[in-house]
Amino acid sequence: MQMLNTRTPRPARRFWHGARSSRLTAIAILLPPGLILFSLFVILPLTESGYYAFFDWNGYGTPEDYVGLRNFERIADHSVFHTAVGNTAKIIAVSLFIQMPLALFLALLIYRKTPTNALFRLIFFVPYILAEVAAGLIWSFVFDGNYGVTASIARSMGQESFFILADRDWAFVAVMTVIVWKYFGFHMMIYIAALQGVPEDLIEAAKIEGAKRPQIVRYVQIPQIRPAIIVSAFFAIIGALQVFDVIIPLTNGGPSNQTQTIVTYLYSFGLTRLKIGFGSAVGVLLFLAAILVAVFYQRLFMKGSRP
Amino acid sequence: MADVQLAGITKSFGGVTVIPGLDLKVPDGSFTVLVGPSGCGKSTLLRMIAGLESPSAGEIRIGGTDVTDAEPSDRGISMVFQSYALYPHMTVAQNIDFGLRLAKVPAAERATRVAEAARILSLEPYLDRKPGQLSGGQRQRVAIGRSIVRNPEVFLFDEPLSNLDAALRTQMRVELAQLHQSIGATMIYVTHDQVEAMTLADQIVVMKDGRIQQVGAPMELYDRPASEFVAGFIGSPKMNLLPGRAIERDDVKTVGIRPEHLHIADDGQWRAAAKVVETLGADTIAYMDAEGLGEIIVRLPGHMRLKAGERLGLSPEIANLHYFGHDGHRMEHVA
Ligand SMILES: Nc1ncnc2c1ncn2[C@@H]1O[C@H](COP(=O)(O)OP(=O)(O)O)[C@@H](O)[C@H]1O
Ligand SMILES: [Mg+2]
Repeated sequence: MQMLNTRTPRPARRFWHGARSSRLTAIAILLPPGLILFSLFVILPLTESGYYAFFDWNGYGTPEDYVGLRNFERIADHSVFHTAVGNTAKIIAVSLFIQMPLALFLALLIYRKTPTNALFRLIFFVPYILAEVAAGLIWSFVFDGNYGVTASIARSMGQESFFILADRDWAFVAVMTVIVWKYFGFHMMIYIAALQGVPEDLIEAAKIEGAKRPQIVRYVQIPQIRPAIIVSAFFAIIGALQVFDVIIPLTNGGPSNQTQTIVTYLYSFGLTRLKIGFGSAVGVLLFLAAILVAVFYQRLFMKGSRP
Repeated sequence: MADVQLAGITKSFGGVTVIPGLDLKVPDGSFTVLVGPSGCGKSTLLRMIAGLESPSAGEIRIGGTDVTDAEPSDRGISMVFQSYALYPHMTVAQNIDFGLRLAKVPAAERATRVAEAARILSLEPYLDRKPGQLSGGQRQRVAIGRSIVRNPEVFLFDEPLSNLDAALRTQMRVELAQLHQSIGATMIYVTHDQVEAMTLADQIVVMKDGRIQQVGAPMELYDRPASEFVAGFIGSPKMNLLPGRAIERDDVKTVGIRPEHLHIADDGQWRAAAKVVETLGADTIAYMDAEGLGEIIVRLPGHMRLKAGERLGLSPEIANLHYFGHDGHRMEHVA
């Protein structure tokens, strides 16, 4: 991300000439390890799965059964894939319009450095530290229709016990609740760090000008942390594209594939059914989506250096 | 227009008392400068007047109204910060307009007032720029512009010139003085620079360790410093503060003499050798070593030729000697 780079000023010409040979030496020494690792662990697997995507292959031996674009056609026609894409879009929407405002609201409450705030920060950050699978498991207990906390609450209110994770209409709402719970702390931390960097003078000047708290937030603090909000939205979108390990212990994509996301779809219909070629094709689509988001995002929001 | 009165103002941070009970009257329309070494509590005092900090005890009155617990925006004040505190994401015009917009002033009136402020401060060509595209002096003007559009009764300044280079500082000093003359509002100005205090103020308040050392017009403080501290603080080059034995007096702890009140005389009562000689044009400042008395600074006519190492006699103008007792206070009627 360009905005996180500090741009180094162009060195003076004379210096440049003198430094050229030592720069080349530095490049020759420092570049290969990174380049080799990147090629080995990023470029190579990517090109490989790009290759497998055109085969019907179960993962054993060498792929031989070339099928052209048939994997992609089958994905495009598969209604579960449509649900998965729709669900991913819902996660993006919930992240942007519920999770981020919630994180910002909490960050505004506790960004100042006091002992109480430090405690709250820690509490709010715990879900993010927790392993995804553990979080999924915990919430599957919470949502359990027989023994879960939600069930007890429902019973105490005289309602029948309710298996929310098994409900076609409500299971994904439950999943999104868990996702918001799991990741809001991450966004909150980004905002806290940014809010702490807003000069106190600006806030005091606004108070003198007659701004009350909501106006200070709106006219001073939010514009000041705009770069952080842009970055956090980027992480929210990219993260939404990748949601997987929270869902497996919660619903495993069910009931009747209502809670699939793009990655759980890849896992359920590619890996577990030993259709590596098909899974690779999903992976390629996911990769393209991520690249598209990154490129558009860069164009739209991260262009130019903002003060 | 309004005066500012502080009565029994005390401020503690945690267990540390920064200002231990302070009384001050700032007359309506005056340009009052709070001056003192850094850390003496000037900013804290100003911030209490602004309402950004609340006093631990005491009362603040602006224009006769008790504002001790009032919101900053309800005090009829404005403040210019050392950092300027401009909003980087707003244009110059929006920065100046911000307070008016919050106060829901009608758009037409806002436009007139912003234009008027921009005219006074020669900011018209920059109204559409962001603060990041302005020089330090221009930013300072925008900060002042933001203060004046709201027509406050009291202007507060916290070291507004300390981020500017020397030439610009002098220029802005003149502009501030003109601004005060033209709008006539009460101004309270904090600085650690006694030159700014001398040139801008009609009332100087010298502070040290949260206490007021002396209040008075610049020349009053210059001519009759109430304490050894004020004597050493006001004036540049500094007043020479010599031990009482320089004038053979035991009851006088320190005798002060300003550099311009010393003259070279062959039969002078103090012998001194020049160490460093600075030729400033109109004046020559000689830093000398007086026998048995320590360093002594002498202001000489510009064309006086003096070499380092040269030994001379110095004689003070007796009428311009300042005597300070063992308590640090000025001693009157010393024969
Ligand atoms: N918010 C604060 N908390 C604790 N101590 C403070 C605070 N603000 C100022 N002080 C202390 O009060 C003293 C006076 O500070 P200040 O008013 O800023 O001095 P000045 O402006 O004269 O340089 C200093 O010793 C400073 O450390
Ligand atoms: Mg200060």
